[in-house]
Amino acid sequence: MTADNTSPEDPPLLHVDRLTVEFPGVRALDGVHFDVRGGEVHALVGENGAGKSTLLKVLGGLHRPSAGEVRLGGQPYRPRRPADALHAGIAVIYQEFNLYPDLTVAENVYSGREPYGRFSRGIRYAEINRRSAELFGILGVHIDPAATVDSLTVSEQQLVEIAKALSVDGRIIVMDEPTAALSADEATRLLDVVRRLRSEGRSVVYVSHRLDEVFAVADRVTVLRDGRHVRTAALADTDPDELVRLMVGRDIAAAAPRAGVAGDEVVLDLAGVSAGRQLRDVSLTVRAGEIVGIGGVAGAGQPEVSQVIFGALPITAGTMTFDGAPYRPGSPADAMAAGIGFLHEDRKAAGLLPDLSVRDNLTISVLGRLRHALTRLLSPAAQAGVFADYRNRLAIRTTGPDQLIGQLSGGNQQKVLLGRALAPGGRLLILNEPTRGVDIGAKFEIHQLINELTADGAAVLMISSDLPELLGISDRVYVLAGGQVVGHLTGADLTEENVIMCATTERRIFSPAGV
Amino acid sequence: MSTDTQTPKPARSAPASRADRAGRPTLGKLWDTWGITAILALLLAATPLVAPDFLEFSNLQSVLRESAYLGIVAAGMTFAIASGAFDLSVGGQLALVSVVTLIGYSAGGTALAVAAAVATGLACGLVNAGLITGLRVPPFVATLGTLFVFRGVAYILTQDGPKTLPYDQIGSPFVKIGGLNVAGIPLPFVIMLVVYGAAWLLLRRTATGRRILSYGSSPAAARFCGISETRIRIFVFALVGVSVGIAALTYITRVWTADGSAQDGFELKVIAAVVLGGTSLKGGKGTLIGTFSAVLLVSVLNDMLVSQGVPSAYQRIVLGCVLIVALTIDGLRTRFAAPGSFRRALSVLVQRPSPVDGA
Repeated sequence: MTADNTSPEDPPLLHVDRLTVEFPGVRALDGVHFDVRGGEVHALVGENGAGKSTLLKVLGGLHRPSAGEVRLGGQPYRPRRPADALHAGIAVIYQEFNLYPDLTVAENVYSGREPYGRFSRGIRYAEINRRSAELFGILGVHIDPAATVDSLTVSEQQLVEIAKALSVDGRIIVMDEPTAALSADEATRLLDVVRRLRSEGRSVVYVSHRLDEVFAVADRVTVLRDGRHVRTAALADTDPDELVRLMVGRDIAAAAPRAGVAGDEVVLDLAGVSAGRQLRDVSLTVRAGEIVGIGGVAGAGQPEVSQVIFGALPITAGTMTFDGAPYRPGSPADAMAAGIGFLHEDRKAAGLLPDLSVRDNLTISVLGRLRHALTRLLSPAAQAGVFADYRNRLAIRTTGPDQLIGQLSGGNQQKVLLGRALAPGGRLLILNEPTRGVDIGAKFEIHQLINELTADGAAVLMISSDLPELLGISDRVYVLAGGQVVGHLTGADLTEENVIMCATTERRIFSPAGV
Repeated sequence: MSTDTQTPKPARSAPASRADRAGRPTLGKLWDTWGITAILALLLAATPLVAPDFLEFSNLQSVLRESAYLGIVAAGMTFAIASGAFDLSVGGQLALVSVVTLIGYSAGGTALAVAAAVATGLACGLVNAGLITGLRVPPFVATLGTLFVFRGVAYILTQDGPKTLPYDQIGSPFVKIGGLNVAGIPLPFVIMLVVYGAAWLLLRRTATGRRILSYGSSPAAARFCGISETRIRIFVFALVGVSVGIAALTYITRVWTADGSAQDGFELKVIAAVVLGGTSLKGGKGTLIGTFSAVLLVSVLNDMLVSQGVPSAYQRIVLGCVLIVALTIDGLRTRFAAPGSFRRALSVLVQRPSPVDGA
């Protein structure tokens, strides 16, 4: 079944043979084959938990294999630390950023490889600033090399990571979901950079959930599933449908069908809400049974809207109404008490409780309900019950309730956090990027779940930078730009072109539909 | 301990991953909770050879009695460290609470002394909490400052000499707190047991305990779970203060005297015991069983060294080395956490002496 369409004449630059990586409780990679030729872009696809990130971490010297071998240019390649990978000419851009927030952009780019002055032994700042600026020129973006990293947006930080990898001048550049945090424009330029690297004779390993990017830029693709190699093929010999089928292991519909049961009852209403300079005069409405989407380019104020509603960002002007009553939460605790569930867009930094078990991560939002009536002590049985309930409902793959959350794949972590948001059973759910970094199968399940919730009368406010998702499951979409509502799309106006138009140009589109 | 050398070793649990998958505790997890307890058990098992006098009943009583005040404060400190902070001011608190308690006793007897101890401890904790939540001073800096302030106040209150319990009070109920035995067990140790029981319930079986661990694990994520940073801080530092209040009662009724210099360096002993027990300084993890065992380990070790006539300077060195060794083991475990290498390393150590089980 692993019919290789590779031409056998040139030996691969990088050759991964029967690679197995084990963690406590999981075999993340199981006898995987993978090879990269000089000057090719080789895409690596698979659902979350398929083993892509593990493979990259072996290449980057972060994980050591339990069995199997990696050969680089014919020689055994066994990096013991990230520096070994760099010396061998392999630069890896991980999904999680590894930046020093207090240092400047240029210091981060050249961290550990700073050029020193001949006499002063000080870092040659002029040189690293100039070289960093050149790298950003290649990427087609303007980022000040002297700015500190914590002053950058998430997409700029991603670009710094990319510049860091380019600065190594490696033979093989490995990118894990490089466009996840980028705007459409930045993503397009990144793909140009990938092509340019190839034309310089370098190889790129490109990991992405976005198959359109894979088809736009890659020469060959390897599909992993459940830690195993499924197929390697030239892009010309396959198509997106086949790849999706191979990744999931079955046929799936492109998007969950929408039940469409919006009622008339207004659950949440914002009138002229402002928050400092981040939000200006935002008005929006969410009804029971409705999925309302919020779109826009990165940094347009989407997370801020959600945080104002959840009481995590103070409101400086305007009014909010929730369930027909004036609503002004002073903290997330107030919002939760009112009946609002919340999913943060940054799973790692503001979602996971890394030292706690999956059960404790899920039940943290309903502790008050899990107490024994008399003793007020937490009931282990009640916790187990809630966890088992959501584990079944969300199909969370875990070895057991006591497993640490960090040991789950990204998609399963996300399901646990969704369970946390759902468990209180509130009337309004605020879902920030509900399927970011989640594989296609889990994505479909999550969309289905959101549909079911609205069928039961819940209202959902969904912030998503994934346009097909935003348009596919929302009943209405508000578009933000610069902290303001610049569009409100319903019915036939719900198109990618309209969202992008509102978000990136001066055009304003407000659908008239009886809203 | 087991005496039968023929007893087969536990069968090698086939692939390590299976044990995890079945939800059985792994060696690593067992080490987290019981590692220090195992070392304590080994030490106790070795006592008949090293220090035969140790096992004399009166000596055991005295060790337990002396370990109580350190143990009670360490219980409170476990919460602070699990929440990702620590309280450096407990030494100053202990001195101040002891002095105020003695003043209370001479003014109004046992009831007032007990009330004064708990109230002063609580007040000290609230001062810390106020600085941290109100003025947004980092806990390290705030409690470093109040360490000096509390000691300073204790010095001022004892300007005309240390406060003491008069000898004619030897029969009073207050003095009995430190001296009484319940069924042969010293009352201070009984109090410590009660404190640990309550603390374990608080950490493991209450919503508050879960929130403290959540906050310690990730303050940002905890915020979006509706957990109030201010409440966690106030609760944790007040709890440390109250634990010092209770500890001071067992302490002062043993030593009978206090001034500003009482228990110099106490805060670091407490933190050392908590860390030795396995609670992570990064927050998010806390083990009261570990803290309890670590306190006893330190006390037992100290007693043995004293009984062997080891000078106190060397006692400190031994304590320091024990701490370093324990944390080194912990660090190695984390570093080689990957594919069960720690487990393999340990199983080699465990299995080497025994022949492979034939049948």
